[in-house]
Formats: sequence, structure tokens, C-alpha cells
Amino acid sequence: MTTPNAPTSLPFEERLSPLTRFTRASRALGRFCRQKKLGGFGLVIVLVFIVLALFSGTLDRYDPTFVFAAENPNFKVDPTIAELAEDPNISSPHVVALFETPSGEHWFGTDRFGRDIYARVIHGTKLALTIGFGASLIAVVAGLVIGAISAYYLGKIDLVVQRVIDAIYAFPFLILILLIVQIAEPSTRNVVFALGFGGIPFAARLIRSAVLAVRGSEYVQAARVTGASDLRILVRHVLPNIGSMLIIVFSVGIGAFILAEATVSFLGAGPPGAISWGRMVSSGRGALDLHPWESIFAGGAITLLVMAFNLLGDALRDVLDPRLRGV
Amino acid sequence: MQSYIIRRAVLNIFVLWIVATIVFFAVHVLPGSFASQQFSSANLGGVTPEAIARAEAILGLDKPVIEQYGAFLWDLVQFDLGESFLTKRSVWSELGRAVPYSIELGVLIVLVGFTIAIPVGILSAVKQDQLPDYLLRGGAIFALAAPAFWTASIAVILVLEWNLFRIDVTGQPHIWEDPKLALQWYLIPMFAGGIASTATTMRLLRSQMLEVLREDYIVTARAKGLPERTIIMRHALRNAWLPILTVMGLTVATIIGSQIVLEQMFNIPGVGRLLWQSVSLRDTPLLEGLVLVVAFVVVFTNLFVDVLYGLLDPRVRLA
Repeated sequence: MTTPNAPTSLPFEERLSPLTRFTRASRALGRFCRQKKLGGFGLVIVLVFIVLALFSGTLDRYDPTFVFAAENPNFKVDPTIAELAEDPNISSPHVVALFETPSGEHWFGTDRFGRDIYARVIHGTKLALTIGFGASLIAVVAGLVIGAISAYYLGKIDLVVQRVIDAIYAFPFLILILLIVQIAEPSTRNVVFALGFGGIPFAARLIRSAVLAVRGSEYVQAARVTGASDLRILVRHVLPNIGSMLIIVFSVGIGAFILAEATVSFLGAGPPGAISWGRMVSSGRGALDLHPWESIFAGGAITLLVMAFNLLGDALRDVLDPRLRGV
Repeated sequence: MQSYIIRRAVLNIFVLWIVATIVFFAVHVLPGSFASQQFSSANLGGVTPEAIARAEAILGLDKPVIEQYGAFLWDLVQFDLGESFLTKRSVWSELGRAVPYSIELGVLIVLVGFTIAIPVGILSAVKQDQLPDYLLRGGAIFALAAPAFWTASIAVILVLEWNLFRIDVTGQPHIWEDPKLALQWYLIPMFAGGIASTATTMRLLRSQMLEVLREDYIVTARAKGLPERTIIMRHALRNAWLPILTVMGLTVATIIGSQIVLEQMFNIPGVGRLLWQSVSLRDTPLLEGLVLVVAFVVVFTNLFVDVLYGLLDPRVRLA
């Protein structure tokens, strides 16, 4: 039965059953991985990290905050006062297992507080991915609104908006993040917002030029002739045609924001409390010459995840928009 | 051309005014002031709110915001950046000390970046889809992803482990004062920063070279029997390197950003380190001055690059 208000015909895509859509999507994904081997490789690493983040509680082997103890090699039951003065821990049978080298028990060793580095690297995935996805989403959405308005209306609006964008771009990025985070109190959420805000110029400029290219096209002019409203033209005609651009900006942004968060945390201004790879690299630097493991593994995790997102972004760009190749 | 430059310069000044406004109000709503930071870091017991208020009054932080903003802009118009709360020296003289260090490190980073990126980009394009190309591109992808502070840390580990050279972070010599000591000090940060900036340039040069190598005039040059070396260096590179100029303009902002971390790590008293310190100390005039100077460098470098582009490439018309 049809109601008078129901649309008479749905667009082709919307009539497909969920199953057909799923098989189509997975086939497209398989094709992507076969064509773009490096991109497929990046996708696999990203998925592994997502699994690590989701199941960090079961894959971590140990609690990331648990302080491990080790047998005290110098233990003496009844030390003399002189011996105690030399080594205050001599009377306790166990000591904190700090700076253990990687072993079967502690895959990546332990840090300066005797905590398992492997467990901490696994738990650090959560923060990295939250920041990456969150900040990139904010940057792309805000960049879309600003870039679309700026490119669609041009004129004075464009002139002013672009100068504000230029100003945010010219502002030293890390200082901007530091200021925003400190104004709004340091927390994971505020770091996400600060990074997303700082990323707006990059997203807005790319999206603006994409909208500019679509704006002059014949189908947009045709839509305008039929009397379509600005909003309708933007949503129905402009947006679908810059969709691939948005996906590319989003995926490349994730890696960049993970790197930015690591830098901010390395400098000591990251979200307090959360386990952050950047902060791990910095805390491992305290004893870098003798115990480099914490810095090496945490930095390795950053590099691997950022590299995976870059490979994925590059491959997506090649597949979705060949014109942008090499940009 | 002249009117283009003037118009862009005027717009840049407008941009700098926005930057000044952002930094002024950001600092204003930032919790804590220079006075309260100083008292809390000195860890003096029994500091009363009145004492902090008195100290703030001496620094002029008690005046109405609008009045402070007006005075700030008025000074700015006269190129007066005020004086640092901490050292009581003018911001210009603080800059005079810090800028040479930052320029030294920045130039070294750019030099390392380009001496690696240009040959690597050419080689990668010439050997497209062969083993060297894959290896070099893999290296570029790695360089783009590895944080500079991490590669620098690893380098420090290796230098300490193999006892390669002494890294002295206390002497802080300029290159013209003690070249050997200064280079040992700058070596790791310049490579860490340089390698990180290599990837973008190298990838762009590669794709430009690939495009140019398919042009008709390259085919003609080959048909004339010119040696491959001449074709690549004389005919291809000359036409491929222009877009690199744009990247150079853009990397200025990136390099200033990476300098904050590297200067902090290696105790280099440059602009980046000073910027970071001025935020944590709430040294308002210093922070505002430094941000404005950095923004000035970024916007006018971009203008310079655009103008240069117009001069070098007759196809680009500036209007």
C-alpha cells in the first residue's frame, strides 16, 4: 500500500537488499586489496590495531598499571647496619622489577616503574585511535562547512573566511594546541577538539578547491536553472561529487593527528592519565642509554600505525581520485 | 605584478591582525598568570591572593581587557613588542638571541632535506617500478610516519652505545664560533628534522619527473641521441622542480613546528624552545611577540614563493 507522501521511485542504490550490498562492498574491498597491495597491507595493519584497541583488556596479558616484583638478588635475612646503609632494600626478599629487558614473560620488557611495556603499548592504541579518528572527523566536518560556504558564495565571505583560515595556519600549530588544551583543561576530549580545530585550515583549503571545481560544472548550473535552493544544490549535487575527496582528507588526517598527539604528549602536554605512546617515548628517555626499550617500542607503534594510515590514504587516493595522484 | 604584491601584502597584514587577536584573547582566558605561575614555581608558602593581585597590578594585568588589547595593538603598530616578564629584556632582544639558533637549525634541516630528497626523487622516477624505486619510496613512507623525536632518540641511543661523538648540550655554541662542537650538537636534530621533511619533497619531485619524462620534448631529446644524463638533468629536472618551490614555502611552517620539539630535546635556545617556555611561564608579551613573528615569517614566505613562481614560470599569471 502506498501513502500519498511516499516517494514514487527510490534511487537505485537504496533498493538493494542489505545482503547484496554487503557482498558488493566486500567484493570491492577484495578488489582494492588485490589492486593496491600496499594499501591492502596498510588496511590490515589498521584493522589489527583496531582489534588491539577494542580487545586491549584481553590481549594485554597483564594490567598496564600493575607493578611487577622480582626476586632481590642481594637479599639477606639479617643484614648489618652497614649493609643496610649501603642498600636499603637488602632486607626485603622482593624488589620492583624495573627496566627488565624483553623476555618471554615481558615481551617488551618493563618500564622504570616495573610495569609491562607490552601491555602499555597495547593500551596506548586506544588513545591513538580515538585521537586520530575524532580529530580527523572534526577537521573534515568543520572544513566541509567552512570550505563549502567559502567556495560556494565566494566574494567577501570567501575573502574573510580565507584570511581567518590563513591566520590559523600561520599560528604555530603546537602552540595553538597547547593553548586550547590549557584553556579548556587537559583531557582526552579537549585534545581531540584542539587537534581537530588546528587541522581545519588543511581540510578547509582542500575542500574549498574541490567545491570550486564542482561549482562551475554544468550539472550545478542546470540545477540552479531549475530553481533548486543553495542548500539543495550543496547537499544533492556538490557533496556527492566531493565525497571521495572527503574520504581521502579524512584518512590522511588520521595519521597526521596521531603523530601530532604523540608530539604534544612527548612534550608533556597530552591528556593526563591516559596511556600515550608519545609520553612513553619521553618517559623512556630518562634512562635512554641503558634501557631504551620503552622508547623504542612506543615510537615503533606510532610509526607503524601512522605508516599504515598513510599507505591506506595513498591507495584510496589512487583508486578514488586518480587526478590527485602524487599530491 | 606590483599591484598583486601590494594587495597580498595588505591581506597578510589583515591575517597578522587576526593572529594577534587570537593570541591576545587566548592568553587572556588562559587560567593562571605570570605572577601566579612564578609564586607556585617558587613554592613560597602562604602566598595570599592579594600578593598575586599586587604582582599582577605591577605587570599591568589588572587593567580592563579592552584597554590592554588597545594598548597591545597600539604598541604593535609601532613595532613595539613589549618586554619579557621574566627577563625584563625587550622581546626584540630575546628574539635577537634566539633567532640565530633557529635559523642555523632550520637551514641545516632544509639542507639535509633537499640534499636527500632531490637525488632520491630523481632516481626513484628514473627507475620507476624497479627495485631502487620501491626501496626509496618505502624509505619515504617510513620517514613520513616516524616522529622526529623518536628518530632523534634512537640516534642518541646509537651515538651513546657506539661512543661515536660527544653530544654537548650545555655549551650552545654558534656554528661560526665553534664549528666542530656546534655541528656535533646540531647533527642529530638536523638529520631527524631533515629526514622527516624529505618525504613530501621527494614524492612530489618523483611524480613531477614522471609527468615531465612523458612529454614530447623528452622524446625529441632522446631521438636526437642526447645522453640520458643530459636529458634528465637539463631537460626534465629543470621543468620538474618548480612545484618544489611551493612545497618549500609550505615546509617553512612544518619546520618551525618540528623545531619546537627538537630545540626542546637538545637544549637549543631558539625560537621554538622560547615559545614553549613562554606558554608554560605565562610570559604574555614574549608569547605574543614570538607567535606574531613566526606568523609573519610564514605568511610572507608564502607570498615570496608565489611571486617567485610567477617570475620563474611564464605560464603562471599573477592577478
